[in-house]
Amino acid sequence: MGGTFLFVFFRRMRVPLVVLISAYAIATIGFTLMPGVDDEGNPWRLGLFEAFYVVSYTGSTIGFGEVPYAFSPAQRLWTMVSIYLTVIAWLFSIGTIISLLQDPAFRRSLQRARFRRAVGGIDQPFYLVCGYGDTGRLLTRALTDRRHPVVVIDHNADKIDALSVQDFRMPVAAFAMDARPPDNLLESGMRSRWCMGVMAVTGDDKANLKIAVATRLLNKRCAVHARADLAGVADNMRSFDTDDVVNPVTEYVHRMRLAIERPAAFRLYHWLQSGPHARIPDIRRPPRGPWILAGFGRLGKAMHAMLVEIGIEVTVIEEDETLAGLPSNFVNGRGTQAETLKEAGIDRAVGILATTRDDVDNLSILITARELNPELFTGVLENGLSSHAMVRAAEPDLVAQPSTVIAGTILSRIRSPLVQPFIERMLDCEEDDIDALLDRLSAHCRGSPPDFLTLRISERRAPALVGLINRGIAVPVSALVNDPIGRERALPIEVLLLRRDSGDLLRPHGDTELKIGDRVLMAGHPRAGRRLRAMLENENILGRALTGREIHQGWLWQRLTGTRDLG
Amino acid sequence: MNMSKVVFGFFVLLALTLNFGFFIGEIDNPDHHNVYELFAALVVGLIATVMKLGERSQMSAMLLASSLVVDLHLVAAALVWAIAVHVTDVGLTPAVMATIVSLSGGALLANLLSVVLLTLETAGFSR
Repeated sequence: MGGTFLFVFFRRMRVPLVVLISAYAIATIGFTLMPGVDDEGNPWRLGLFEAFYVVSYTGSTIGFGEVPYAFSPAQRLWTMVSIYLTVIAWLFSIGTIISLLQDPAFRRSLQRARFRRAVGGIDQPFYLVCGYGDTGRLLTRALTDRRHPVVVIDHNADKIDALSVQDFRMPVAAFAMDARPPDNLLESGMRSRWCMGVMAVTGDDKANLKIAVATRLLNKRCAVHARADLAGVADNMRSFDTDDVVNPVTEYVHRMRLAIERPAAFRLYHWLQSGPHARIPDIRRPPRGPWILAGFGRLGKAMHAMLVEIGIEVTVIEEDETLAGLPSNFVNGRGTQAETLKEAGIDRAVGILATTRDDVDNLSILITARELNPELFTGVLENGLSSHAMVRAAEPDLVAQPSTVIAGTILSRIRSPLVQPFIERMLDCEEDDIDALLDRLSAHCRGSPPDFLTLRISERRAPALVGLINRGIAVPVSALVNDPIGRERALPIEVLLLRRDSGDLLRPHGDTELKIGDRVLMAGHPRAGRRLRAMLENENILGRALTGREIHQGWLWQRLTGTRDLG
Repeated sequence: MNMSKVVFGFFVLLALTLNFGFFIGEIDNPDHHNVYELFAALVVGLIATVMKLGERSQMSAMLLASSLVVDLHLVAAALVWAIAVHVTDVGLTPAVMATIVSLSGGALLANLLSVVLLTLETAGFSR
């Protein structure tokens, strides 16, 4: 049903068109009935053909005059009638068309048709982003930078308008509609064979749940990444195999715990999972000692539970003493005031977390606390991206930013199915090993997060490599990081994980032989990834990377030079 | 009773009857075929087409298609008539008249189909 707006157009135009046809018919018939005389004075009447001719040029206000003969008074009388009749009919039709073009409902159906065409015209893998808040914006920007078209829907027309004036590297089809009805999701291409994933990142847990359910039921091949603020909703989503559920609160508590217990693991985790502009956080000393927690909302509560669990002494500051679950020794008051902070023991605390619902309050808490105790480790909850500049300027040690965390976590998971297993395994490693890897990666990419790359050692993805293996030539993992041009140099890329049937190998040793069917996760500079792909497809480049000399392809050349290739 | 359905049915039926009135008679005898009737059939046919625009059921798509066929036939007939009488001075010879009437015969078939479809649809509604 691509032409809804055509239907709307014709339905609205029905009356004006009927009026127009009737006016023309009446005027034409009338002309043939009016008595007239020809140039010789004989009685004469206009035929239907001439009558229609006269009406045509009169109705369109062109007016050629009286043809073929001068009109009689009766004919002139009728000319007047037909002028008013047809001109009014025309004005009516044109007025209707113009008012129709300005009609919001008509314009909307026109835009909707355009949106549907744009979605239907996508012929490469794309993502559907439901909800264009801070998270949706980050996701859309990152996905288009990764050369994926994106379809965006949001029920707020202002947000979609704001999107339409932005510049993206790939086409973004956007339309203002509610993401909850499954029909709207289908219209947005959820069932398309190119739809790689649906991101349910609206601010409403129920809407996200509904999107996740609809996608699971209507398109099983398509991955669902959903945001869930409440633990119950998150469990519900996981219960029907939502690929990826991100609960910002859980995610923060997890990160905070890493920051306190294992700073290196935290640095790696936070860097890889905070979107394309993340920087390695500079936390070197684990802040052990008493903490202050200002604000006992959802995040505050979860943080409190975690801190208590790992045996850290916490003092809660909260204004509202009716909140459920408040510990008995909480300090009643606002964290923004120095007295309250002193009462909570700011002078002997090692860290403070400001988790109230108000960004300005959080910043104020942070600044006041730092004045009282400059050595504090500071963590702050940033509720919206709009105050990001201020939060940045305050330089807290840890910023809890829901949108960045959600978008970053989703982005790292859709990059490759191996990223998540890698990070989980890496978190079990020694701190020194993690730091070593961090240093290497950040040297490769000059501080910005690395680009992930998954290689599949298969006939289709790596024909050259498989060709060598089939000829019995051992290809070690280190071949993947050798620069094919200058062999002694390594490409700015690291082998992170090797997955084969017998199990996963974390950071495989350079001598490990590659086997057909292996999957390799690598990370490094985007340019290295492109070089590597070229190498896997071309035997000559690969051979040079392996041995440093050319392998001659072709039977004739081998005969001529008397060389055999590698074996 | 739905007034818009009455008007709709009225025009579809009127297009058929006018068309039939023009068509009936000896095929090549200009005296049996009134040019005003052709004009009326054409105008009513156009109005019927406009009425069918903007309907969305499968049946109305077919109705619209048949209406467009009617218009095509009748416009062709009117053109033949105008060219013969006014442009080339051939006049309404039996051959020209036969062409006009046979074109209107084609339109008649399409009009008949319109009425049949409309009847079917109405019958379907009442069930």
